[in-house]
Amino acid sequence: MVKHITHIIFIVLSSNLLAQEKLDTIHFKPFTVVDFKLPTSYTTTKIDSAAVVSSQNLSDMLQQNSTVFIKTYGAGSLASVSFRGTGASHTKVLWNGVALNSPMNGQIDFSLYPTFFFDNAELHHGAGGLIDGNGALGGSVLMNNATPDFSASKKPYQLSISSTVGSFGKYINTIKASYNTKKNWMLETRIYYAVAENNFEYINIAKQNNPKEKLERANFTQKGIQQSIIKKLKNNTLGVRFWYFNSDRNLSPTLLSENNNEAQKDESFRTLLEWKGFVEKFSYQLTGSFIADKLIYENEKSAILSESNTKTTGLNGNLSYYITKKTTLLAKVNLQNENANSDGFLTTKNRLNTSFLVGLESKIKKLDVAIFNRTSKVENNNNFFAPTLSLGYQLPKIEQFYVKASFGINYNYPTFNDLYWNPGGNPDLVPEKAKMSEVGLKYLPKNNKNVAAEITYFYSLVDNWILWQPTATAIWSPTNLKKVENKGVEARLSVQQKISEVIIKISSKYAYTQSTNIELHSTDNASINKQLIYVPKQQFNTDFLVQFKNTSLSYYYRYTGIRYISTDNNWLLPSNYVSDVAIQQQIKITNYNLALKFRINNLFNQNYQSIAWRPMPQRNYLLTLSFSL
Amino acid sequence: MKKVCFLFVVFILFSCSKEEIGPQCKNCVGNPIIPNSDKKILIVNEGNFGFGNASLSVYNPTTKELTNSVFQQANNFPLGDVAQSATLINNTIYVVVNNSSKIEVINKTNFTSIATLTGLISPRYILQINNTKAYVSNLFSNQIQLINLSNNTIIGSISTPSNWTEEMLLFNDTAYICDVSNNQILLINTNSDAVITSVSTGEQPLSLVKDKNNKLWILCDGGINSSLPQLIKFNPQTRQTEQVFTFNSINESPSEIEIDSAGEHIYFINNHIYKMNINDAQLPATSWVSNNNHIFYGLKIDQTTNDIYVSDAKDFVQNSTVFRYSQNGQLLHQFNAGINSGAFLVVE
Repeated sequence: MVKHITHIIFIVLSSNLLAQEKLDTIHFKPFTVVDFKLPTSYTTTKIDSAAVVSSQNLSDMLQQNSTVFIKTYGAGSLASVSFRGTGASHTKVLWNGVALNSPMNGQIDFSLYPTFFFDNAELHHGAGGLIDGNGALGGSVLMNNATPDFSASKKPYQLSISSTVGSFGKYINTIKASYNTKKNWMLETRIYYAVAENNFEYINIAKQNNPKEKLERANFTQKGIQQSIIKKLKNNTLGVRFWYFNSDRNLSPTLLSENNNEAQKDESFRTLLEWKGFVEKFSYQLTGSFIADKLIYENEKSAILSESNTKTTGLNGNLSYYITKKTTLLAKVNLQNENANSDGFLTTKNRLNTSFLVGLESKIKKLDVAIFNRTSKVENNNNFFAPTLSLGYQLPKIEQFYVKASFGINYNYPTFNDLYWNPGGNPDLVPEKAKMSEVGLKYLPKNNKNVAAEITYFYSLVDNWILWQPTATAIWSPTNLKKVENKGVEARLSVQQKISEVIIKISSKYAYTQSTNIELHSTDNASINKQLIYVPKQQFNTDFLVQFKNTSLSYYYRYTGIRYISTDNNWLLPSNYVSDVAIQQQIKITNYNLALKFRINNLFNQNYQSIAWRPMPQRNYLLTLSFSL
Repeated sequence: MKKVCFLFVVFILFSCSKEEIGPQCKNCVGNPIIPNSDKKILIVNEGNFGFGNASLSVYNPTTKELTNSVFQQANNFPLGDVAQSATLINNTIYVVVNNSSKIEVINKTNFTSIATLTGLISPRYILQINNTKAYVSNLFSNQIQLINLSNNTIIGSISTPSNWTEEMLLFNDTAYICDVSNNQILLINTNSDAVITSVSTGEQPLSLVKDKNNKLWILCDGGINSSLPQLIKFNPQTRQTEQVFTFNSINESPSEIEIDSAGEHIYFINNHIYKMNINDAQLPATSWVSNNNHIFYGLKIDQTTNDIYVSDAKDFVQNSTVFRYSQNGQLLHQFNAGINSGAFLVVE
């Protein structure tokens, strides 16, 4: 059922057979913990471990495996997202169920999350994001660590070491080690170190005669460690996860601005305490979390050295009650204390967010029904009513077709920057409100697991959209200015075919997103009914994999349509299509595996900009050697 | 399998087609540049910080013809990031491009770049002192840079107590310079290039003009909701402040002071356009031209016709509309220029 409310299923049972009478008889047998699924009638994108591993960070991964638009300042630089046409703070990002969005700006920097630190990911599109929390006006992105496998067949020790060398001074080294004791302890350590000069050559179209130049000040160093300790008890597990990440980078100027010698340091400590288990007809999960982020920004030219510190302490409780075989009650409580201290605030800011979700998921013959409501209190804002309803129906005659529809309301509360930034913060802001709806069709042939297709039409209205604009006093200040209509189509198709010993996999995704301003205060404003800036209407990506025994060849292609860069849609960035290709060879030697992988990014050497006047790297190479035991 | 191969081939073909790289403006260019010696209004479109979308538009007040993106058209490269001001010096246009830390020296007839003055810090305005020398004010730098106009190079600098100097005005052998961060006007002797003295003003003096009686009018915007804005009448001969007009609210932010050709009427933007006689005892109670929900941004008076040009920046991320008023306040024409039209230069 609901994602990231994990519950326990005995491995002898299949996941859809949670009959109580059976549970009673096998109470003490080994079990695994599997993730709950968001009701199937919502739209999700699942990103499996292979796709996670083939990307370097969350930003690359979403770019290749979803239709979430990534706005990136360049390799290793700030990356933000637009999910179904919404703004950068409208995507909720969770790590094992805990929200990571900064209380200051409601965003995360997607370039600071190497995929090495999680095992699988999932996207909840539109209304389904309400189950993950407030603020998911476009959807939510979930990074999850795999649930440990305590089954006896597993090797007690596991070790994998990987080393990557790439163009422009890139080196990435990772070590992952885990140990499962017979007493049901699981210890896992992941260590990451990456460095890149990023001094790639580009064609400087901002200068006369377009000279070739080398990018300056785009170098970065990233390091991190993640430690998990999980103990399996009788019918529950107790775990601690700790994740430290440190990034130190210079910020390169645009092609048209002079070098300001800007630099940024980010440091994060993330700690989770998880307790999850199963009692008769109940499954429960309790997660305590503490997330501390520090950001230091330096601008030598303007003599700015600013520091921001945020601390988020949270307690999430999830409870599922399996009323019958086909009906489950879900309740979620979320307490989150946000604290921020920044040079941009006059005093330290603190607030408590309380939120409560309750709902039912049921299967009535061939109809899936899910209904939830979220009640929230964030300072003086009380919202008792943020519901979502989702319906799915398997067509009676043509059972491989599944019709789905869902609706929902979600609120995004103003961030600390919106409210208190000095100067400009506006304490009178009200929450942004999104009304989301979608209908779609899934094709899942019953006897053929090798083909899957889905098409979804979505429509949403975001009201009270918070926008920063210069005011009469020439300072930038946010107001609940815009009403935005987002509508479009998302489609995906995946095919897998085995021809003798050759496996072929193709997975494609397409999105059409129309995101427009539909209400403005001034009459003579050309932005009315125009596409929002930096939201492409067209996006397409595809993966093509051919595997023969231990050798595989992958081809990755992604197309991004034009992005307007002025609100009257006069200025735009041209579309781009980027291809990558990778070849991998596995070598199995009695007790260990070696893998050698060679990847060419931007195969056709395309010159493009994701953000105006910020060059992206041309053709570049990565060579990875991995060893696993 | 055949289909798969077909798709694969299609992608590759796709990937090989001709490409445009950077930002494009679909409706910006309009008319081509026709080099002529007609009188023109050069519109400096500031653009957005970091977007690199600064541009120049040219308006012919006689034919009412407009040409946008003239710099890009004439030179085949973009103007830069944040175009702050333009000044006519020795019959050549000097455009100060703030965040590109440069000044483009441009031919006034065909807009080709004659020279690019680099090595500046964060330039704001350029003031011609004589045929060979100019001053450049700066943000984020405690200096006024000295420019040799004969070869367009930096020849020195004058240390200032401020890291933000803004508009400048030359009168006799003294340059009067807005020292924004210290709330004062700096007086620099233009022969010795030395700071002589400073005169306190209200908070954040940003713009200044000289009237027919050789009095300076200095407009201080009062900072960010921090103090009451002031309009100051200053006598440069006695170096005394003669009158201080104080605005009513700290939420006001008057800007862009201008004066008509007779040196008798002051105009400024304070949401709306206000007009004031230099002999008035009080600030004008009502506006001269109401903004009608427009976001008035840049203001200029053509010193020969007294036509008034004002821009509407709208949401600051789209092309501005420029309104042209007669001195009677009658709207003569309106047209769309580039993004954030902040400054105007009359080129004759």
